[in-house]
Amino acid sequence: MSRIVIEHLARVEGHGGITVEMEGDKVGSVRFDVFEGARLLEPLVRGKSYQEVAPILSRICAICSVAHSLTSLKATENAFQVRISPQTELLRELLYLGESIESHALHLFLLAIPDYLNYPSAIALAADNPGAVTLGLGLKKLGNLIQETIGGRAIHPVNAVPGGFGKAPTLDQLIELRSAATQGMADLEAVIDIMASLPEAEFCHSDTIYAALRSPGLDSYYAGDEVMVASNGDRTMVRAADYRTLTNEVAVQHSTAKHSSFRGKPFMVGSLARLTVNPQRLTGRPAEAMKRLKLQLPADNPMDNNKAQALELIGDVERALAIIEELLQTGVKDERPVEIHPRAGTGTAITEAPRGLLIHSYTYDADGRITAADVITPTALNAASMETHFRRAVEQCTDRDEAVMGRRLQMIARAYDPCISCSVHLVRRR
Amino acid sequence: MNKPAVGIFGLTGCAGDQLAILNCEDRLLDIVALVDVRDFLMASSANDAACPLDIALVEGAVVSQRDAERLRKIRARATTLVALGTCAVWGGVAAMDRGADRRKLLEEVYGETGLNYDSAPAQALHEVVKVDLNITGCPIEKEHFLSAIGNLLNGDAPLYPEYPVCTECRMLENNCLLIERGELCCGPITAAGCKARCPDLRVPCVGCRGPVGDANRSSLLAMLEEKGLDRERMAARLRTFAPEGVAQ
Repeated sequence: MSRIVIEHLARVEGHGGITVEMEGDKVGSVRFDVFEGARLLEPLVRGKSYQEVAPILSRICAICSVAHSLTSLKATENAFQVRISPQTELLRELLYLGESIESHALHLFLLAIPDYLNYPSAIALAADNPGAVTLGLGLKKLGNLIQETIGGRAIHPVNAVPGGFGKAPTLDQLIELRSAATQGMADLEAVIDIMASLPEAEFCHSDTIYAALRSPGLDSYYAGDEVMVASNGDRTMVRAADYRTLTNEVAVQHSTAKHSSFRGKPFMVGSLARLTVNPQRLTGRPAEAMKRLKLQLPADNPMDNNKAQALELIGDVERALAIIEELLQTGVKDERPVEIHPRAGTGTAITEAPRGLLIHSYTYDADGRITAADVITPTALNAASMETHFRRAVEQCTDRDEAVMGRRLQMIARAYDPCISCSVHLVRRR
Repeated sequence: MNKPAVGIFGLTGCAGDQLAILNCEDRLLDIVALVDVRDFLMASSANDAACPLDIALVEGAVVSQRDAERLRKIRARATTLVALGTCAVWGGVAAMDRGADRRKLLEEVYGETGLNYDSAPAQALHEVVKVDLNITGCPIEKEHFLSAIGNLLNGDAPLYPEYPVCTECRMLENNCLLIERGELCCGPITAAGCKARCPDLRVPCVGCRGPVGDANRSSLLAMLEEKGLDRERMAARLRTFAPEGVAQ
């Protein structure tokens, strides 16, 4: 066996593949290949007025379109030094949670779980176990309902604009959301039952550095602007304005690719990183579920990202219901977006997309036209870490069977929940 | 009766139209029961990449030789080829400035390596192969997908609105953002079918569904100019999701 090639990664968003070159019994080069065409949206958006930026850049990716939209708005508002209202902040939190619920439910039930049970797809799984697939689709639908209600559409939200929202949800809409979220809460136990019943995936162990947005005191994907990089007890903080420290590109030997690294080492972003950096999230139900799933942090197995997503799914539904209750209690005002006064300057925003850290950094001229846009996506940040874990999996595989290794590599790739449409903005393409 | 063989494909884009299909949560298992999904890389790792297809659903734009080759292969396999979403129907956001110097843009984003990339100005599917049915939207409305599947299974061609977003907006009795507030709303020239999602939320239409058949672009531009908006910038905005010269 001289090489292992996964021509087309299935059950992931976008077009990518894996190539591992063997040198005898040793692992030579390892590549995460991206076949996605270049859309060049960052230079194309140049010259556009600030109102146009979020709708264009949300099109980088559908599954993360809320994350892209809201991160875009946050960057623009930072550049213009706009302060949004507390109601807007709460509604954006809820919208972000809707996307996370939808994305995690989709990933776990339609993309990842079929692997553990030896099915090629959720469609095939549904033939034998319709309950599991229906459960996942139900939670996915809850996430979409939140996105439709708050964002105006499930994919590429239209209601979130610079300074606030077009319209706030009505009382009737919030009551409908509450009943859907209450149903979601009832479904969570079954999610943990299914996750706990899956066989353990123990074929890749590796010391891993994790990076995530630090949100002290807050359970937030959206607020905060400091990233913590956690490595074996060593913790370093990076402020949004210094994000280039994280995306510090290094040339790797096997190709002309540039990969993200922190002090020369790859790091992992996403659910597992968030829980490692923000352990205060793990109380109550998520903490109990963590015990049942036998998850220990910091983890040394990238497959644990699936468990971390399940724990976040619980926390997300709980938090969404709490926000809905709060909005119902305090009432929602029919407020207009805060007035925007463009000014020349730069704004950077970091948030936690379902797959991990997302960075948008913009420069505007005095008329509010964008002169430079830089977008760093979670899958681009993860690319180097994915390759490291592919390498470890092949090294640790005693069975030199190409099919066994290929399957393991694909499971690791899917555990990262890569979003390859997004990744095109940094990783190399073949 | 054999179930019709279906393939679902994504060229270059955001995967939003495939996601819109997966978002038909309540109906997904019903649809799967009616058709035989043979090739759907985003949802399955067991695909037949060569079988003939009764229906091929293709999203995304053609922005590389690789995309064009894939599309030609899909066309050769398919009896009915459906373009799914604004990128497939019109070119979408990646096509907003097709006249730009592509080599310069590639070099700017990817450095010198970018110059070796397989990359071409974005094209709609119909500019490369024959398309049998267009379902526009960024993303498509899932109801339009469901009705298309129902119609195609019955041998009918689905019908979609051939009037502008304004018609739907007026039926909702919204105040006009364009006339009453002087905001740059693309409703008058954009194909309806979204139930005027944006203006119904007091947000101007960005034209994401592409132009409506009998759009009067010059009259809109004249009206906006009268309101003091810059003609060049407005024209650029109207081209954000559908560049000029793509209409079938």
